[in-house]
Amino acid sequence: MLAYVIRRLLLMIPTFIGILIINFAVMRLQGPTLVEQMQASSGKGSEGGGGDRKAQGAAKDVENYIDRFRRAGLDLPAVINLRGFADQDDFANRLQGALANGIYKDKPSKRNELEKDLWLAGPQGVAPLVAVLADDRLSTIHAPATVALSYCAYITIDRLTLEKMPGEQLQRIQGRNEVLRNNRILYQNNRDSGALVNDAQAAEKRARLLALFAEPQVQREYAERAGNALGAVLFHTGFTDFMSKLFTGTLYSESRKEYVFTVIADRWHVTFWLNTLSIIIAWAISIPLGIHSARRKDTLEDQVTTTGLFVAWSMPAMFFGTLLLYHFCTDSSGAKAWFPSSGLSSDGAVWLPTGQYLLDLLWHAFLPLVVLSYASFTSLSRYMRANLLEQLDADYVRTARAKGCSDDHVVYSHATRNSLVTMITLGSGLLADLFSGALIVELIFSIPGLGWLMLDAAIQQDGPLLMGSTVISVSLLLVGILIADLLYGVADPRLRSRYG
Amino acid sequence: MGEPAAPLRSPAQLAWERFVSRGSTRVGLVVIGLIIAMGIYAPFLSNEVALVWWDHHGLCFPAITELFNQRSYAKLHDLFFNVAALLLPMTLLVLWCLRRRVPQARRVLIVLMVIVGGGLVCSLPLIPRASGMSAVWEPRAFSQATIQRWKELPEHERPFALFAPVKHRFDATYPGATLLAPGSVNPSTGGTYWLGTDGGGHDVLTILFFGARISLTVGLVAAGLSFLIGVVIGAVSGYCGGWVDLLLQRVVEIMMCFPTFILILTVVAMLDRDIFIIMIVIGLTGWAGVARLVRGEFLAQSVRDYVLAAEALGLSRPRIMFRHILPNTVAPLLISLTFGIAGSVGAESTLAFVGLGDPTVPSWGVLMEQGRLNIRYPWLIYTPGLAIFTIVMTLNLLGNNLRDAIDPKNQR
Repeated sequence: MLAYVIRRLLLMIPTFIGILIINFAVMRLQGPTLVEQMQASSGKGSEGGGGDRKAQGAAKDVENYIDRFRRAGLDLPAVINLRGFADQDDFANRLQGALANGIYKDKPSKRNELEKDLWLAGPQGVAPLVAVLADDRLSTIHAPATVALSYCAYITIDRLTLEKMPGEQLQRIQGRNEVLRNNRILYQNNRDSGALVNDAQAAEKRARLLALFAEPQVQREYAERAGNALGAVLFHTGFTDFMSKLFTGTLYSESRKEYVFTVIADRWHVTFWLNTLSIIIAWAISIPLGIHSARRKDTLEDQVTTTGLFVAWSMPAMFFGTLLLYHFCTDSSGAKAWFPSSGLSSDGAVWLPTGQYLLDLLWHAFLPLVVLSYASFTSLSRYMRANLLEQLDADYVRTARAKGCSDDHVVYSHATRNSLVTMITLGSGLLADLFSGALIVELIFSIPGLGWLMLDAAIQQDGPLLMGSTVISVSLLLVGILIADLLYGVADPRLRSRYG
Repeated sequence: MGEPAAPLRSPAQLAWERFVSRGSTRVGLVVIGLIIAMGIYAPFLSNEVALVWWDHHGLCFPAITELFNQRSYAKLHDLFFNVAALLLPMTLLVLWCLRRRVPQARRVLIVLMVIVGGGLVCSLPLIPRASGMSAVWEPRAFSQATIQRWKELPEHERPFALFAPVKHRFDATYPGATLLAPGSVNPSTGGTYWLGTDGGGHDVLTILFFGARISLTVGLVAAGLSFLIGVVIGAVSGYCGGWVDLLLQRVVEIMMCFPTFILILTVVAMLDRDIFIIMIVIGLTGWAGVARLVRGEFLAQSVRDYVLAAEALGLSRPRIMFRHILPNTVAPLLISLTFGIAGSVGAESTLAFVGLGDPTVPSWGVLMEQGRLNIRYPWLIYTPGLAIFTIVMTLNLLGNNLRDAIDPKNQR
């Protein structure tokens, strides 16, 4: 038995890793949209003309987008990070090439693309860009280099750093971010005139900026953040970032301004209770139904049940749910609304005595439960029926009948027990079902559960939230399958003996 | 030995006879046929442009001309259905002419030639012209032979004109026509909204007609794509075995474990909400079941003698897989395809229902979402709901009957 469990566990590892990879790949899809948003906001800034305040606001907007990128881990290359090997010459060549092609003068979209590439370098781009800035021969590209440096050297202050970092260091970083921002604003407007420095105090400003980065402490700090170029190739990438955030529980949901697992923890109980009740209802109705129609096989009753279940199976949940909502939750069909149309409890229901509170809850949850459970009637009862019919054909049933057992005894004690063993397969998905949001039902009846959360996350393009909940649901499914396998072992001695 | 030999029939013919002999199958086939006809002839069922217009310039058929005007269709699938609208009668005519005179194989060939030839003729406007655009892609002015113009003309100048039963366009929003009840009259066209209008001022009945196109396209493209992937992966996995099988089984397991709808939701939300992207995403996420099915069939078939014989002949692996084994697994695949189409149609409308559909195409799911948002207007709930329900249930029914017909032993 132990060998069996270990074998199953080992097979699950690649599955789990594969799912993480797909998750990660899907999450990277949101990158382009974010970049577009960022470029739109940086474009606003360069149009300028609205004075210093507007430029400050635009610069902060760009910083917010960089923050978003970094929090989502989208600033890093997906799997292999070669940015650590880019040196002064690479940056200088890139900028000079852009200058030669007139990108700064009259190709704003290409300029945005170039700037995005440059700021994506992050701390790894700081040292080479400072070197570019320090080189007097490269004075033509000092303006774009300053802008790029100001992006790369910008340090995101997120919640985790706020909690952990000593106040003094924090102030220093904030001060430096400010200096960088001012430098960026200064030179941002220069790009439109072909990135030429026509500022009288340019030399002085450059010297001040170089002095800032000449401090050993600052250099150490950025070197620490950039890491070893060789080590960064595999371990400072989008994928490792995603993994570390996932396993330390610091995946950050942008739309909720909260850690993903905290958001889910706030919401799961609604979905959990609804699903638990609906699953209990579905099994409690469909198992007896399956047994019943197996015993009455080919009678009129069986055919009527079969047809009814078939229609129920083909009925889209969205149609059924909306119909119920229209007929029973609004007064539009003439009568008073029978059921509330939204939420899971009335206003102020928490102050009611427990009994009344539960009744109120049931009143609210009745229709959602109906819509949640009707869909599984068909598959469950058909499966049960087919299983039971198979068992009733078996030899041991004939033996039982031959030795004079009553029909009820044969069906319930012998055949049903054995067919329930095969029902374990259907049970393997239960654990995941408990926590997977029923999107359609929650949407129709306005229940704030996990399904709605997911839809909201999808519409807001909140990758981390979607991926965090997918990983939870997949893990539960895998655990469910494992438990089902174990139960098989418990229920079926043949399996136990095969694996010793 | 002396008794007269019954005509020999292949298992496929027997299964087909069993399939069609059921009353419910015939009803289902008729319903599906009606839905297909509704989709193909939607521009003739509901159009502002006249079907026939006969004035002093002469006789013309503006509706047919409009079939190839880029302004009259939103997406590529519309063009396909428009071509089909012209080809279908031609094909049927040829078939009717050839009823008994030609053997079946040649009849199929002739029909195929008619389809290909007609398709070529129809695609003539697609050939780019000197100006760089083809006639189809170059937006032309709408035909002037519309119901509005006809009404504007003084009574004695009105030409003889024949209009579609519903005088509305699917993409037109008429002023002041939001959420009108069934039976209201559109003042600008004089047409009746038989099934009311939606929140955007579109005619619901027109969306019902044109939505059939979307559902059919989604069903075929998405299910076809997932079948293609599923068959290839399942075949390779089942026939090759060994570590290839082990690897591919992990991939299948990953797709099985993945919450598919959430994946579709995410990808569609991150990319453009284009109906073709939606189809492809549904297709790309739905192949795991097919792959598992095909693998099982291939495992069972690959130990058969005919495979051994083919191997002994030294045939290549792809040839054995796809020319020898695959035809023997067609029956379960066909059943699964029917359910797959139903599932894809359901997935697309669910996606539209939660608000992630393509807003530029007239889809039943988008209409259903309108019903959810405007809960007091039952025609917005019943019309698309019954349409989706009908197509899904019919496909499920056909799949069920097909299974019973192909595998009569398993019938319970």
